[in-house]
Amino acid sequence: MKMYSFTVAVAALFLLNQQQDAQNIIKKVEKNRYSDNKYVVSTMIIHGRRAVRKIKAKSWIKGEEKSFTEYISPARERGTKMLKIKDNLWMYSPSSDRIIRISGNMLRQSLMGSDLTYEDMMEDPVISSHYSSVILGDTIITNRKCWKIKLKARTEDVSYKKRIILVDKERFVILQDERYAKSGTLLRKVSVKKMEFIQGKWIATHIIFKDMLKRGKGTEFIINEIKYNVKIPSYRFSKSSLKR
Amino acid sequence: MIKFILKGLLRDRSKFLFPVLTVFSGVMLTVFLYSWMNGVMTEIIRTTAHFQTGHVKITTRAYAKEEAQIPNDLALTDVDSLLTSVRLQFPDIYWVPRIRFSGLIDVPDEKGETKKQAPVFGIAVDLTGKNETENKILDIENKIVSGRMAVKPFDILVSTLLVEKLGITVGDNITLISTTMNGSLVMWNFIVAGTVNFGISGLDKSFIIADFSGMQKALDMENCAGEILGFFKNDLYQKEKSSEIALAFNSNYNDKNNEFSPVMTTLYNQNDLSSIIDMASKFTGIIAFIFIGAMSVVLWNSGLLSGLRRYGEFGVRLAMGETKKHIYGSLILESLITGIIGSVIGTIAGLAIGYYLEYKGINMASMFKNATLTVDNVIRADVTIYSYFIGFIPGICATILGSAISGINIFKRNTSQLFKELEA
Amino acid sequence: MIIPVFAIKNTFRAGIKSWLNAFVLSLSIVSIIWLQGLYKGMYDQGTRAMIDAELGGGQYWVEGYDPYDPFSIEDSHGKITHVLSEMIKEKSAACILIARGMLYKQGRMYSILIKGIDPEQEILSIPSGILKEKNNGIIPALIGTRMAKNSGLKKGDIFTVQWKDSKGVFDAMNFQVSEVMKTTVQNIDNNQIWISLNTMQKIFNMHSEATIVTIKKDIKPVNAGLNWEFKNLDFLLQDMKTLVQAKTAGASILYIILIFLAMIAVFDTQTLSIFKRKKEISTLIAMGMTKNKVIALFTLEGMAYDILAVIIAAIYGVPLLIFTAVKGWKMPAGTDTYGFALGDVLYPVYSLNLVFWTLLFVFILTAIVSYVPSRKIAKIEPAKILRGSTF
Repeated sequence: MKMYSFTVAVAALFLLNQQQDAQNIIKKVEKNRYSDNKYVVSTMIIHGRRAVRKIKAKSWIKGEEKSFTEYISPARERGTKMLKIKDNLWMYSPSSDRIIRISGNMLRQSLMGSDLTYEDMMEDPVISSHYSSVILGDTIITNRKCWKIKLKARTEDVSYKKRIILVDKERFVILQDERYAKSGTLLRKVSVKKMEFIQGKWIATHIIFKDMLKRGKGTEFIINEIKYNVKIPSYRFSKSSLKR
Repeated sequence: MIKFILKGLLRDRSKFLFPVLTVFSGVMLTVFLYSWMNGVMTEIIRTTAHFQTGHVKITTRAYAKEEAQIPNDLALTDVDSLLTSVRLQFPDIYWVPRIRFSGLIDVPDEKGETKKQAPVFGIAVDLTGKNETENKILDIENKIVSGRMAVKPFDILVSTLLVEKLGITVGDNITLISTTMNGSLVMWNFIVAGTVNFGISGLDKSFIIADFSGMQKALDMENCAGEILGFFKNDLYQKEKSSEIALAFNSNYNDKNNEFSPVMTTLYNQNDLSSIIDMASKFTGIIAFIFIGAMSVVLWNSGLLSGLRRYGEFGVRLAMGETKKHIYGSLILESLITGIIGSVIGTIAGLAIGYYLEYKGINMASMFKNATLTVDNVIRADVTIYSYFIGFIPGICATILGSAISGINIFKRNTSQLFKELEA
Repeated sequence: MIIPVFAIKNTFRAGIKSWLNAFVLSLSIVSIIWLQGLYKGMYDQGTRAMIDAELGGGQYWVEGYDPYDPFSIEDSHGKITHVLSEMIKEKSAACILIARGMLYKQGRMYSILIKGIDPEQEILSIPSGILKEKNNGIIPALIGTRMAKNSGLKKGDIFTVQWKDSKGVFDAMNFQVSEVMKTTVQNIDNNQIWISLNTMQKIFNMHSEATIVTIKKDIKPVNAGLNWEFKNLDFLLQDMKTLVQAKTAGASILYIILIFLAMIAVFDTQTLSIFKRKKEISTLIAMGMTKNKVIALFTLEGMAYDILAVIIAAIYGVPLLIFTAVKGWKMPAGTDTYGFALGDVLYPVYSLNLVFWTLLFVFILTAIVSYVPSRKIAKIEPAKILRGSTF
């Protein structure tokens, strides 16, 4: 009996340790990822049933809650702008010169035909505050040594109940993120194909986002340019800036 | 002999006018009723053809498979040259490109903020082009309740109930939120040119009609179309002909591995319509049979009566030395002539009414309030090739039969007896 | 009394032309009864199917639910009130929970409705019994034939559905088609899947909630509390009624023409027989019958065709109608795609009411048509006729 209690106690301690370790890793990841103000130029490559489409956009991002994106090409999408503030998403289209809030069923639509939905775009909560984490073990992916960490939602209103992420042991970049449904079905998989060291930070510059229930190759994200700690005027994150 | 009989017919009102009038009205009724029942029976088919299936329809293989989802990402490409080639290959058919779409209508307030939204579905048809084909097929101009026809690419026609629901009027700007062929969300402004009442209750709740070229731009579908519909020029579905056309077309594009190669389906093979078509023709057949039966009896009856009335005359003719056979023959010939004349003018009149009601229809809108069905409020006649012949069955056969039966009595009776009836 | 007997005798004795007129009349009567019966059958059968499978004795709708407004589905669920849960316990009601989901088939997404129903319910004819869970992690689902056709799913197929529960959490599970039900009712088939209510409440995080509560047939609705509004069958069957009315309206022209035809026959015969029998008429008047009585006699003679017609109609019509009612009208497979719940075989329904009104209508019309030419009798001058000259 004593022996049993001891084992349980050691195991619990070990687990606690693991959790603390995991939390520390996550904090480091977020510190690496987090920047107050970012400016990003990115290309989204969509592998459609018929053709491959490349969509280029520039974004201004402030913290985790505010972002402003303007599409540059192709011509058809040029001038389309999107503003996200917390749980709200507005879209401006130059063709109609109107700002419309994307809500309800529209959120479930695919973003420009990609594997992402507008909803997915909205879902990127701060991991440490929404998830409890535990290290599952070590692994290697794309020749990088990683921790395999399980994330479990702390509250009931987080979109993905469970995530399994692989974190680069040296660079503290998430190299793979599997997002699971409440039932345990794998829904989305984000994998990093390339990392770069920019302005003193390691960041993922080539990402593949895949809706696991859909057929196809998934959608690629390539970061063409990134600047940290840029000055972003506050009007940028107002609805009126969508029409400018 | 015929000249003599004709003279006799023309000079004797009771011998000619009344029988012809009876045959005329009977045949007219038969022709009209047949066309009408045809119209009632084929109404669902016609509406479906006009709005959904065409008499034949070209889509990509992939689109055809998932049609229920309106998959515009699987639309036909290079539509202009495809249209040119089918128009050349099958000139007897109107070919029209269309885009079906669904989405949201967003109505802005003064500041441009969303005031109201409603889900909609619609079709984009060629409204601003040179030819009036679509206007004719869908009879759009006649369905406009207020406002005008769409004349610019971004004019839009909105169904009356939807207009009510959204609180918009003619001239208002509205935004359609939909998905482009590439899957991007699109917002596009349209002007409400007019409100339409298709009288198809299932449609009038949330239906819009847009111009094809405008929708091509809006949905990023330059030189693409969801579907190309083909219509026979008389707007009547011809089962065999359409299968032949589909066969001929599909043999040109038999690349089964390319899911984007075009494929043609006939109305008969789409949406389970085959069984409905078969049932409709069966039903029309039964109705026509009952009616022609009844009509024949009436005309036979009148033939019989006119024969009976003339026993006196036959008596005189027998007394004057005419043979019974000759009298019987002339009686039959007379009824043949009245039958033909009555049938011809009856058919003409019946066709006239039929065509009129095919064009105008009878509005039964009051009966369709609150329904969500795809049934046209206006019931129309449908004149088919059979309408031209069907009246002659009762018109000629029954009339002759009537005379023939009543005439038999000529042989049975003695001359004196028939002569005696002259006094009656 | 002598006049009616006289009239019937005269008509019966008139031979073939009486029979012809009567035959045409009978044809009209039988056709009208048959067609009306067909439409009545269509309505009865359609409503019965809808009541059995979908509507029961009426439905309580949770506040905000509107089946025609796809936006409303999202928020259309609410706690089942005490009154309702008592009814459900007593098996006099069954509740249905409705939510939206995404079905993934061959890599494409389809927006569908997921409906939860108690496998033990006995209110609706949906074969919900097969929705009982088997504990193999796969949720048994029921779909209709149309859904099967549109989605390409077959019995035994496993497919994935993704949804967000009431808290906004993503979830996805595999469902297995445990049965494809053949139903004529589109509202329980189109674009939807059925699963067990318990499972649905659990996976959607909507414990003891529902969207619709359907009550048993012939049960009086009670006040179910706030947020729940009762919709009676008149309201729920509106569309079906309209469809049948539309069909009946289209056919009514046929009745009018058929009757018109029969009336022409009667009118013709009447005119002719008055013309032919003016000597007889004159004799009757000369013998002391008033003109009105003679008019009555001829009118009744015309109406006697009705009696003959009813006899003829009974001879061939009754067996024919019974035959059609028993055997039914076989409907083709896709008939309901555009219309309503009709079933494979459409059985006409002939009510006594229907027969009575049809006959009465024909009788009255014949009376009028027989009377109009008979009025000429009033102008007859018997002395002249009997002397030998005409009208």
